[in-house]
Parts: sequence; C-alpha cells; structure tokens
Amino acid sequence: MRDRALLLLYLGAIVAATFVHEPARLAAALAAVLLASGRRAPRVLARAARAAAPFAAAVSLGWLAASWWEQRPAGAALLRLNLRVLLMTCLTFALAARLDLQSALGFSRTLSFALVLTVSQVLTFRRLHADFRLALRSRSPRRASTAASLRHGAAAGAWFLRRAEHDAVEIAQALDARGFFLDRR
Amino acid sequence: MHVPDGFLGPQTYLPAYGLAAAAWTVGLRRLRARLDAATLPRLAVVTATAFVLMMITVPLPGGTTVHVAGIGMLAVLFGVWNAFLSLSLVLLLQALMFGDGGVTALPVNALAMGLVGSLAAVGAHRLLRPLNRDAALFAAGWAGTVASATVMAGVLGLQPLLSRAPDGSPLFFPFGWKTTLPAVVLPHLVVGVADGVLALLAGRCLAPRPATAAPSRGPEAP
Repeated sequence: MRDRALLLLYLGAIVAATFVHEPARLAAALAAVLLASGRRAPRVLARAARAAAPFAAAVSLGWLAASWWEQRPAGAALLRLNLRVLLMTCLTFALAARLDLQSALGFSRTLSFALVLTVSQVLTFRRLHADFRLALRSRSPRRASTAASLRHGAAAGAWFLRRAEHDAVEIAQALDARGFFLDRR
Repeated sequence: MHVPDGFLGPQTYLPAYGLAAAAWTVGLRRLRARLDAATLPRLAVVTATAFVLMMITVPLPGGTTVHVAGIGMLAVLFGVWNAFLSLSLVLLLQALMFGDGGVTALPVNALAMGLVGSLAAVGAHRLLRPLNRDAALFAAGWAGTVASATVMAGVLGLQPLLSRAPDGSPLFFPFGWKTTLPAVVLPHLVVGVADGVLALLAGRCLAPRPATAAPSRGPEAP
C-alpha cells in the first residue's frame, strides 16, 4: 500500500512538473526535492546530472548554436528545459529509489512475477557486465583500442545470449518443478 | 534512442499513455492466454539480456558511442506483443532504476520501440524469410531500429508545434522535423546494422525450444 501510494505521488509530481513553465517555480521545486532528500541530496543531484547530461547537453548546445545563428535569445528556453529535466530526474532518484517496484505493481501476478525474474537477471547481468568491463581494462596496459572494444563488445554480447539461453531453460525447469504452472493449466 | 523526461509535453505523453495502456492490456491478455512453462522465464531472461545489451556500447570514430536495442531480436523470437511488453518492462526499469528515459516518455518510447519497431521487424522478417533466413533476421533487426528511430524523430519534431511560450520560445523539445529527422534517423541507419547482427546471432542461438531440455553448464566468460 505504501509503495503504491509512493508510486502515485511520484507520478503525480512528474506530471505536475510538465505543467510548470516558469524557471523560478521549477528551480523552487528542484530545491524542495533536494531539501526533502536530506543527506542524500548531493548524491541525488550528481546521479540526476549524470543521467540527464548526455541528451540535455546535446539538445542545449544545438539550441544555443541555432539561436546564435538566427540571432534570437536562447536563455529562457534553455533554463526552463534544463531545470525541468533536472527536476524530473531528481524526482526519479529521490522518490523512486525508496520504491519497492514489485510491491507497487503487485496488482498483476503475471506482471510482478515477470518483474521479479527480470530484475534478478538484470542485477546479475549488470554485475557480470561490470566485471567484463573491468577485465578488459585490467588486461589493457593503455586505453583499449576501438578494434579491441568492438571485439570485446561482440564477445560479451554473444556470451550474454548464450547465458540467457542457459538461464531461461534452468528457470523454466525450476518453476515447473515447484508447480508454478499447475494452477494455470 | 529513447527520450528522457522533460522533452515531451503533456499534449504528447497523455494521449500516448492512453494508446499504450490499450496496447499493454492487449499484450498482457495474450501473454496470459499463452503462458506456459517456457514462455515466461524465456521472456524475462531475454528482457534482462536486452537491458544489458543496451549497456554494451559500440565505439564510433570521433569519440561517440552507440548501443543496440534488441528490438528485432525480441520481435522475431517472441512476436510483436511479447516484444512490446518486454521492451516496455526494460524501459520502465531503466526509467525507475537508472533515470534513463523517463515515465512521461515511457509510452512514446514503448510505442515507438516496442510496437512500431516490433511490427517493422516482424514485417521485414516475414517478407524476406522465404528468400533467405539469415537476411530476414538481419533485416528484422535493422528495420526495427530504423522504424522506431523514425517515429521518435517524428514525435520529437512535433513538440515545438504543440507547445510554445507566449514569447514564441519552445516549452519542451525545441527542434522541428527538419532537424530531428536527419539527426535521429541517420545515426540509427548505422546502429541498425549492429541490431541486425544481434538479431541474426539471437535468431540462430535462441530460437524457442521446449523447456524440458537439460540445462547445460553455463557459458565461459569472454
């Protein structure tokens, strides 16, 4: 119940952020979110900036260049866009981090089961992906060349596909052995 | 490819949520009707694989990187509706766990990548399969990526037309179609090649089999 309420609060706040267009109000909302995050605020802000930066920076720089070329002011639009993006991403990291997604989506048994299986696999695969990346770095005395990165990406991709096949069979057998599908036949 | 929160206005994402909700309902009903011992685990594991494959970046000359999306792979292996559900789940997890994408952009991303991309992938696969199986798999991966990028470019380019401040400045994504179509679609013509190769590999390695096959030892790490 708490998680569903938290999810609804988060969704409401996200939608509300798209109806606010004054930079001052967006900045105030961002400050409120960071204040509410307490000691986690610097971490929330850093994570949000890292997550939003690539797309927001590309769009902002493009808009800045286009505005300079056409000799029109770009400041207000840029400020509004970036404050809104940062506010929404901060909201995600501040609120959604406290959310138990499985409990929030518990209204559908199939959905929550698929979610549990997927998240458990995602966490395992993410750790393995990080291991592979570190392994490539540790065996490359200098920064890995483009060719080495491509070979590594292809080998890791193929490995994940084989691992997926292996895990799918294993999980299916484990579910079947525990009678998961008996009440569905 | 997928758009973060804050770039799409409510005039876009609210109707998109309506469309996506209808599509999610159809997809879940079809999944429940066909649920068996092999489908759910395979779908979950391949969803997780698509999630991780999106993290494997391919370097491009000039210092930029791209990543595959696995649309064609999922569509060919599981069909349009299951691929749509699977990619929606990937996008939801990316939005909530990593702030990558976003919940306002979720329906547009899900419809573009999961539904339009999957339809294009399955269409290309069916069209070419009688001629050559490998070419059909590759085309599925390529078409899925390019079709979804084209839809995303269309939706992004629509934003300045839908919402502007009284001074004429854009409220959300600022560029029109003249910019978004070449900027988004052209790089994805190249990314589509990587997705084509992925669909080809996956189509050969991961074709659905009965769940009773004995599990082998796990693959050795690269």
